[in-house]
Amino acid sequence: MSEETILLEVRHLRKDYGNGAVLKDVSLKLEKGEVLVLIGPSGCGKSTFLRCINGLEPIQSGEILLDGLSITDGTAKWSEVRQKIGMVFQSYELFPHMTVLDNILLGPMKVQKRNRKEAEADACQLLERVGLLDKKDVYPRQLSGGQKQRVAIVRALIMKPEIMLFDEVTAALDPEMVREVLDVMMELAAGGSTMMIVTHEMQFARAAADRVIFLDGGEIVETGTPDAFFDKPKTDRAQRFLNTFTFEKK
Amino acid sequence: MKKTIAWLLTVTLLAASLAGCGAKEKGGTETQAEGGDGAGTQAQGDGAIYRTVDEIKESGKIVIGVFSDKNPFGYVDENGKYQGYDIYFAERIAKDMGVEVEYVSTEAASRVEYLKTGKVDVILANFTVTEERAKEVDFAAPYMKVALGVVSPDSALITSVEELNGKTLIVAKGTTAETYFTENHPEVKLLKFDQYTEAYNALLDGRGDALSTDNTEVLAWALQNDGFSVGIESLGDLDVISPAVSKGNTTLLTWLNDEITALADEQFFHADYKATLEPVYGSEIDIDSLVVEGGKVE
Amino acid sequence: MQDLGIRVLFMGNNFIRLLGGLWITLKISLLAVALSVVLGTLLGVVMTIKHPVIKAITKFYLEFIRIMPQLVLLFLVYFGLTKSFGINLSGQVSAVIVFTLWGTAEMGDLVRGALISIPAHQYESGAALGLTKGQIFLYIVIPQTLRRLIPLAINLTTRMIKTTSLIVMIGVVEVLKVAQQIIEANRYTVPDAALWIYGTIFFLYFLACWPISLLASWLEKRWKN
Repeated sequence: MSEETILLEVRHLRKDYGNGAVLKDVSLKLEKGEVLVLIGPSGCGKSTFLRCINGLEPIQSGEILLDGLSITDGTAKWSEVRQKIGMVFQSYELFPHMTVLDNILLGPMKVQKRNRKEAEADACQLLERVGLLDKKDVYPRQLSGGQKQRVAIVRALIMKPEIMLFDEVTAALDPEMVREVLDVMMELAAGGSTMMIVTHEMQFARAAADRVIFLDGGEIVETGTPDAFFDKPKTDRAQRFLNTFTFEKK
Repeated sequence: MKKTIAWLLTVTLLAASLAGCGAKEKGGTETQAEGGDGAGTQAQGDGAIYRTVDEIKESGKIVIGVFSDKNPFGYVDENGKYQGYDIYFAERIAKDMGVEVEYVSTEAASRVEYLKTGKVDVILANFTVTEERAKEVDFAAPYMKVALGVVSPDSALITSVEELNGKTLIVAKGTTAETYFTENHPEVKLLKFDQYTEAYNALLDGRGDALSTDNTEVLAWALQNDGFSVGIESLGDLDVISPAVSKGNTTLLTWLNDEITALADEQFFHADYKATLEPVYGSEIDIDSLVVEGGKVE
Repeated sequence: MQDLGIRVLFMGNNFIRLLGGLWITLKISLLAVALSVVLGTLLGVVMTIKHPVIKAITKFYLEFIRIMPQLVLLFLVYFGLTKSFGINLSGQVSAVIVFTLWGTAEMGDLVRGALISIPAHQYESGAALGLTKGQIFLYIVIPQTLRRLIPLAINLTTRMIKTTSLIVMIGVVEVLKVAQQIIEANRYTVPDAALWIYGTIFFLYFLACWPISLLASWLEKRWKN
């Protein structure tokens, strides 16, 4: 990794909750164009980790740097930082009182103060890419979960962020809709987007990731390339975790 | 920013609520507040709020509280103009003082409050003088009096209390008439009803020989019902009706008293009667049983 | 014989006066409701702040307005303020103030409930897009809250219109008082005017309240999401 291409750096991040530490001492670097997948058992802190990166959760100690500049020392404004870090959540509900197009245009118009015509053209292009251009004037309640989540991705993408965070975005979807969303994410990955993905979809993780990070109990237990990790995990804990996804006929 | 707005709002709310809780008389503040309508209240040195005659003249307008729905004393005609016995007098006061008059429609229960807060300069709203009220406001000389009256059929007109001996007198329960006759004339048989309508019906179909209540009431009824007249126009305890001003407003009180005395020369209130009350009470009656001229009650 | 009573409506300015009285009734109610929506929204937002002193003050205010009869409040503002602080307000201004205090309390409570019913996820999605707290409120939370306020705002308007008859006690001549004036002015000449006058008032009230409910239905349909 060269210094110029490291977009995000996390140093010794610690987050407490209640009377325990959710994240103990997490450090990592994210390169431009890299797709990082975080996996691990429930409660291991992977979602919390993502939320710390864009400031939805405060941290107790440690540092996060974006483009070499600290975003946790109090000098940066989150409303500016969050334009560079896009996030898609597990809950796919859009803003119900706005059409799909208005949902997407809210950020560019009100936060980035872009020209409406230009932003609309951008939005339509993105909607086309995810196959939902014909739904642009429709209200969210008329969409399926999968469609809403694809719109949510467009809504984050139109801000032209440097990094996209995905927090278990298919976990709440009906199985038949999971694929359409994962397809969009695969396409983004192939196109060179810098992504950090938290997911339980192991086959997708294997196919999409450049690097896999295995978190357990609030710390990074193992990292590796997808093939290396999934075929031959180095730690017992990782092995045990992967075993929960495989079945053998008894 | 949100917290600042929040604090501003809550403090305002608190002030508003507390202002409601413990309102007390505040004395001696020099506040001049221009009311949207009504008198500009002037706090006088002694803590009371009212306008002196000079202040009224200077403002060019006197504010008088009247009834707007009590025919024939204070009511509003179809052109939106105030009319009535009290109004006739109010117009004269304004003319003699050289100012315009602004009327405020008051309710019976709030007449005292209007004077205590100086929102009107004078109350001319059929205001009966009582001891309790005299503690809160200052009454000028009377311009009208109310007593009991007795109405009976023309064919058997009763013209004195003695003639009621042995006869049946209709009264409404809870009225001054009921009390008066029970206490002072036990020899008269009383036929009592809850409602005025029932009482009058009883007189109409002869179940009683006469009916007694406030003379203003029976006079009006007699005029509308052929074959009946008020044989006794003034009986029993006399109540007087006077203009009222805020307590301590000596300049205005004196002005009103002088005015009432002066108006006696032209028999003003007799003229007032002819203009406003005659259509309701008739021209046959003795006007002096209702009207008080020059503030002197006979 | 029947038209004897109804002719009162056509005498002089009587009908115009009734309409004038209705206008005063409507003016005060609509103004108070409009102010209540704005201030109530502010109050609702304030009530979501978890500060003990703020919570105490707002709760006190709500209970105070709930317990005090409107007539007492009207007297307090119209007469009480003059007696205690020398502030001389007109009857109409006093009425608007009291009705606004009343409406703000109701709206505020409703807004607070609506605000906490908006899922946290919407706040987070907005934040993740880079919207400031103010922008989140302005573009995401308040528009949805306002939609939920409409039924109560309408209900409140009609209740206020009905309650305005109290303001005659502080000298404001509104439609019911004009009616009484007309009936009384004709007490000796047209004794059965009352039926016709009150019938007209009933009709006028209906005429005032009906478009408001129509507006509400139209808004609800438009905002159906």
